[in-house]
Amino acid sequence: MGWLRRAWITVASEVAWRIPGRPQRLLHAFSLAERGSMVDVLFAAEATPRRDLRRKYFLHALDEGRHARVFADRVRALGRGDRAEAAVEDSGQLVEAGISGGLTLFERLGEDDFLAFVYVAEADAVEQFGVYLDRGLADPDTALELRTILKDEVFHVSYSRAELERMRKDGKPVDRMVRNRRLRRLWERYLRLTRDIGARVSGVWLTLLYFVALGPFRLVARLERGGWHPVPPRAPDALAAARAEG
Amino acid sequence: MTDPVPPSASQAWLLRFGTAGALLAMLARGQRWWMLPLVMLLLIVGVGLLFLQSIHYVAPFIYMVF
Amino acid sequence: MATWILGVSALYHDAAVALLRDGVVVAAVQEERFSRLKHDAALPVRAARWCMAEAGIGPEDLDWLVFYEKPLRKFERILSTSVATFPRSWASFPRQMHAWLGDKLWLRGNLCSTFGVRPEKVLFCEHHLSHAASAFYGSPHDNAAVLCVDGVGEWATTSLWRGRGHTLEPVGEVRWPHSLGLYYSAITAHLGFMVNEGEFKVMGMAAYGRPRFDPQLAQLLRLEADGAFSVDLDAFRWHWHPTEAAGPRLAELVGPARFPGTPFTPELAPGDASPAQVAESQRHADIAATAQRQVEAAMLHLAHHAKAQVGGDALCLAGGVALNSVANHRLAAQGPFAHLWVHPAPGDAGGALGAAWWVWHQVLGHPRGAVLDRADLGRSTPRARSKDWLDDLGAHPVDVGDEAPERAAADLAAGRVVGWLEGRCEWGPRALGHRSILADPREAQMRDRVNAHVKYREPFRPFAPSVIAAAAGEWFDIPPAAAAPARFMLSTGPVRGDRRESLGAVTHVDGTARVHVVDPETSPAYHRLIAHFGELTGVPAVLNTSFNLKGEPVVATAVDAMATFVRSGLDVLYVDGYRVESR
Repeated sequence: MGWLRRAWITVASEVAWRIPGRPQRLLHAFSLAERGSMVDVLFAAEATPRRDLRRKYFLHALDEGRHARVFADRVRALGRGDRAEAAVEDSGQLVEAGISGGLTLFERLGEDDFLAFVYVAEADAVEQFGVYLDRGLADPDTALELRTILKDEVFHVSYSRAELERMRKDGKPVDRMVRNRRLRRLWERYLRLTRDIGARVSGVWLTLLYFVALGPFRLVARLERGGWHPVPPRAPDALAAARAEG
Repeated sequence: MTDPVPPSASQAWLLRFGTAGALLAMLARGQRWWMLPLVMLLLIVGVGLLFLQSIHYVAPFIYMVF
Repeated sequence: MATWILGVSALYHDAAVALLRDGVVVAAVQEERFSRLKHDAALPVRAARWCMAEAGIGPEDLDWLVFYEKPLRKFERILSTSVATFPRSWASFPRQMHAWLGDKLWLRGNLCSTFGVRPEKVLFCEHHLSHAASAFYGSPHDNAAVLCVDGVGEWATTSLWRGRGHTLEPVGEVRWPHSLGLYYSAITAHLGFMVNEGEFKVMGMAAYGRPRFDPQLAQLLRLEADGAFSVDLDAFRWHWHPTEAAGPRLAELVGPARFPGTPFTPELAPGDASPAQVAESQRHADIAATAQRQVEAAMLHLAHHAKAQVGGDALCLAGGVALNSVANHRLAAQGPFAHLWVHPAPGDAGGALGAAWWVWHQVLGHPRGAVLDRADLGRSTPRARSKDWLDDLGAHPVDVGDEAPERAAADLAAGRVVGWLEGRCEWGPRALGHRSILADPREAQMRDRVNAHVKYREPFRPFAPSVIAAAAGEWFDIPPAAAAPARFMLSTGPVRGDRRESLGAVTHVDGTARVHVVDPETSPAYHRLIAHFGELTGVPAVLNTSFNLKGEPVVATAVDAMATFVRSGLDVLYVDGYRVESR
């Protein structure tokens, strides 16, 4: 399976780095991903009961934060990309994260699976960045940064692998956990894809509906004028009013 | 706080029907009653959308059929 | 049996919860302080879990859960606007309907499953009523005009209320799409900043400019004879375009938009920029200054109407526009009311507390309670756990215990930049001495150092001073009406002329400062720190900025604080009486 993944990464990277404007988008996505991963790993540093691991998670999180900044700087250096993305970069804000309300990744997975997750994600990153460097895809300045980042990622892989080895000694099914994590990553990518497809298809349907059904109502609908408006009276029963319109 | 127990699928649909009813009732009482047919249409679409979302992992196959 | 009410705001920006026990705030905190995602809008699950754990209750103990908006009214507004702007709204309609029909519309069920409460306990308060309640019930005034100004809620974008005792009665409202908040946001976007985030930067930029675009922008935002305002809807498109707030007309009137991240080098701070770059930055500053002046004028106009309609001598303010501390100062200095009161979290987060108060006072009919005189209502960590964390991270914390304020003051006097974490985090966006980065306020170089090497943010952005209450009037010109907002850092006024030299790091380019007046009763440790700094240096004020890096929320725990500490140029960190030095 390893060769297949590498072949896929190689083809995808070759394409991505050759389309004008695409590298900026890729680096922007990396920047967001690294910021999200900083948040995830920092939670782990807080939540882990293992005092020796806390510091490793913490250093890992700091690396991710630094990478996020490096990638953002590269986006800026490579020139003007998309205005909205530039505004996000400029604010330094995280608009997408690995958390959509609720539990953190660490809480959802538990320590063992979290470590397997870190190992798989970081090993993939090492492979991906390795391809960029081996094939000379990135511009020289970005390549220079990638080399430094790669060193950090190797540390992340090695500490998580050491932890997995320790778990193996404790008799835990480490190989199965890693395999499951890889499958899970594939499955999640597939789900993202289906969600995107779903959103696009519903977008098409809703656009059709818009042009077919909304037009006639245009005759009745009015935008409100400016200035003060009186406020319609509220229902006398406060509790009933509080339940309504929700 | 113990983690809340999610309501069953049937309870969730019941609550959604309640919400749909409240929306229609609100419109019927207000100035924008003319939106009622449009909203009814959209609610039907919404039910379909929710259903498709709940099985979105088979989306590529469904959409291939269409 | 106590009555427990959980107020929830979410799904637009700044999700938050507030928990009341018999009308008294037990805890109030934004979800971003848990998720580390600035302005996180997701349903605030972790914040709710923390608040309930703090109170020792579970979801089954909640008597009411109240959401800060009426989602069905909002849906009605969105749909009818799509119809009214047909066919221009074709691109935004599918996106909005996908989000609403697939998720947002079914909020009652989502609230039940997310928070584990039964449907009959779930209530909904109107968006602007939530704001109004947050401003009125926390204030010391039992007879007041209440003005809420923001982007938009259901239909209202501005609303006026008459507050009497424990009731709020609507007087009038300005309706979508005419919105002062969205107007300011459109200017924010034109100036290259992120909406709902960069508005403060526009305010900071405005000080470098002159309002020379007044004739042009006056065509877009008009003050009406009836005491309200209207917006030229042909120039703006927030009501129908999926991503853009302004149309080409804005650029025709004031010139092209600023690309995000362009260096800002106006005439007052040109650096080594070329004359063309200086002129361009000056144009940006002048746009900011004009829009800022317009918003101030609009707020004054609304306040005069409030005075005429409601009377009384107190005005309570909430809504995102109430975060505009320069406008608040003008209201206090030139407005018709003798007293001004602004909720410490006037934005959407504050709606969670407002909605909960509304249920307690207006729905359940309970009389007014205590005044909200402090903002440290949020998350805290037991001291022993913070120590363990610091130990594990190799920080070598030294326990200075109760001497922390004096030690920190000495550090500041020695020129060190201090990270200060004490007790519970603040409710609202401002750091008020519980999660603050502190520095010596005397030299302007300190401002540049903290901007460039500690917080990594734009050099034009000013820092606020915290001053002890007893010395505030001596150092700053604070009109009597601004006394209350100044306690929550919500008013920006002049630094007294003879004191500007001594406050170089916190005096903005126009001679003003967003002063934070520190009260010895409600912030004892922080007050001691500043007072001691005053004894050491003769200046009873410190530079105070929120404890975070650009783009990140304010830190909550010792681990967050350490992550910020080691990534920034901070010299010393204090966590609940533990001192950590940078190595």
